Amino acid sequence: MRQVEWGLWLGILVVSSLIMRSARPNIEQAHASFVYILIVLGAAASGEQWLGILVAGLGFLAINYFFQPPFDTLTVGEPSDLLALIAFLATALVANILLARARAEAQRAHRHAAEVQALSEEVRHAEALREASRLKDILMASVSHDLRTPLTAIRALAQDIAADDSGATARAEVIVGQADRLGKMVADVLDLSRLKGGAFTMNAEVNTAEDLLGATLRQFSGVSDASRIETVIDYTQPALVGTFDFVQALRVMTNLVDNALRCSRDTPVTISVTQTNGSLSFQVADRGPGVPPKERERIFDAFYRPSGAQADAGAAGLGLSIARQLAEAQGGSVRYSVREGGGSIFTFELPAAQLDQELRNEN
Amino acid sequence: MTGIAAAHYRLLVIEDEVDIRRAVGAALRDHHPAIIEASTGKAGVDAVDASHPDLIILDLGLPDLDGLAVCERIRSMTVAPIIVLTARHGESDTVALLNAGADDYITKPFSTQELAARVAAQVRRSRVPPTEREVIVADGLSIDVHRRQASRDGSSVRLTPIEWELLTVLVSDPGRVFTHQQLFAAVWKRAFGDARLYLRVHVTNLRRKIERNPADPRLIITEPGVGYRFIMAP
Repeated sequence: MRQVEWGLWLGILVVSSLIMRSARPNIEQAHASFVYILIVLGAAASGEQWLGILVAGLGFLAINYFFQPPFDTLTVGEPSDLLALIAFLATALVANILLARARAEAQRAHRHAAEVQALSEEVRHAEALREASRLKDILMASVSHDLRTPLTAIRALAQDIAADDSGATARAEVIVGQADRLGKMVADVLDLSRLKGGAFTMNAEVNTAEDLLGATLRQFSGVSDASRIETVIDYTQPALVGTFDFVQALRVMTNLVDNALRCSRDTPVTISVTQTNGSLSFQVADRGPGVPPKERERIFDAFYRPSGAQADAGAAGLGLSIARQLAEAQGGSVRYSVREGGGSIFTFELPAAQLDQELRNEN
Repeated sequence: MTGIAAAHYRLLVIEDEVDIRRAVGAALRDHHPAIIEASTGKAGVDAVDASHPDLIILDLGLPDLDGLAVCERIRSMTVAPIIVLTARHGESDTVALLNAGADDYITKPFSTQELAARVAAQVRRSRVPPTEREVIVADGLSIDVHRRQASRDGSSVRLTPIEWELLTVLVSDPGRVFTHQQLFAAVWKRAFGDARLYLRVHVTNLRRKIERNPADPRLIITEPGVGYRFIMAP
């Protein structure tokens, strides 16, 4: 591209010079100057500033050589000729500079426009993301509401039928049970998607282990298996405290205890609490069959079902996955370990909190 | 509850979903034949004004008005108990409504027996003015609020001043949910540094002294993410 421009304008310069040279008797210095100025402008406008300057210099020489007497020499005859030459050169160079500046200006404007466009695309993208996330929130809220509303109605009305002693009781109880199961699954799936999306806000506060334990037991009140739950707390020691989100920690505990009850039959599920090295540790221990070594991490995968599990053995295999993620989302953990003498231990750890000595002494 | 008294007891259900209103009606109609229904917040406020209900069941997610605004409006008009229907456990909106004067909440999907029991508890509450209770007996624990004496099965229970304050507030209104903020405001009347953090620790210590099994409390019940309530065990 560059070579083409240079060849073109130098060619035009040479050809014009030859034509004008051959017509010299009829051409004056001023006419030639105009032609050269035009060529300089054309060369400069092509985008090659040095080409413009070169053409200006060549034009300067050509005017002097061909069109100023004495002809065909580089001698300047009259002072006015020198002035004309200088005026030509000055005009050509100024035109060159102005054109170059205008071009730079245009390029800057172009770059600027491109930047603005890129920026506005970025902004549009960010807005689209925000909008998508907002829509997701709305969708989640509405799915949550829309799924719960029919469930609430189904459950309540089925319970109403069950309460009527009309022989429909058993069937209505099935409806109640299934509505509860569906309700739990809806809650689990929603929580899992919120955990995956990082949309879970934890409300960490100082809480006591006993308070969490009591609330956990209360979750199982009315459940026939609840009598199998045992708690081990050392009441000679001050209350153990941790910094955690009570509602979410309660979900972790409920899921672990629920899992332990389902994995074991007719044997106690023991919950104990200890505090060591800055962490509060809840252990949920069962006397079930335990978990084979190669499945010990997979049990924490969402929708994982142990190989021998029945198709409708409770929830959709989300309990342990949610428990672990809820624990980790507040700086804790859930781990599996083998229980001596048979069974499993699920250990739920949370950051411990230290109390003022003053408060401990008060009791 | 006698049939005549129940017939005079008017319930208002403010809920936009017709099927939930029917479910609530099914749960309560045996004891409460007079149930008024409203499907919007505005209609609910108008119904409080027009019918003077004795108890209000308020859905948190109404289409027209913010639940908190409806709750505040109703509380400014009547002292009747308000039970909030909420979609999630420990939702901050629920806490805000309780702080604004709602008396209890129940999470969807709820059990009809649970709803009936909560309504019955509120009815009992509203029939006995809190100040009339002097000696309270619950689950083998006897509490004389005025003399500041408590005993379980004949032996006296010693409480610290803060534990007494806490217990006094909780038993002043059995069955009512007190939010953490409300308890803190009532017990620590002055600013006590960051003592607010320790509210839960004091409740735990109090339970160790008054509950039969502190790990499975029957008197002071934790409302997860919301607060505590005292239950008069039958």
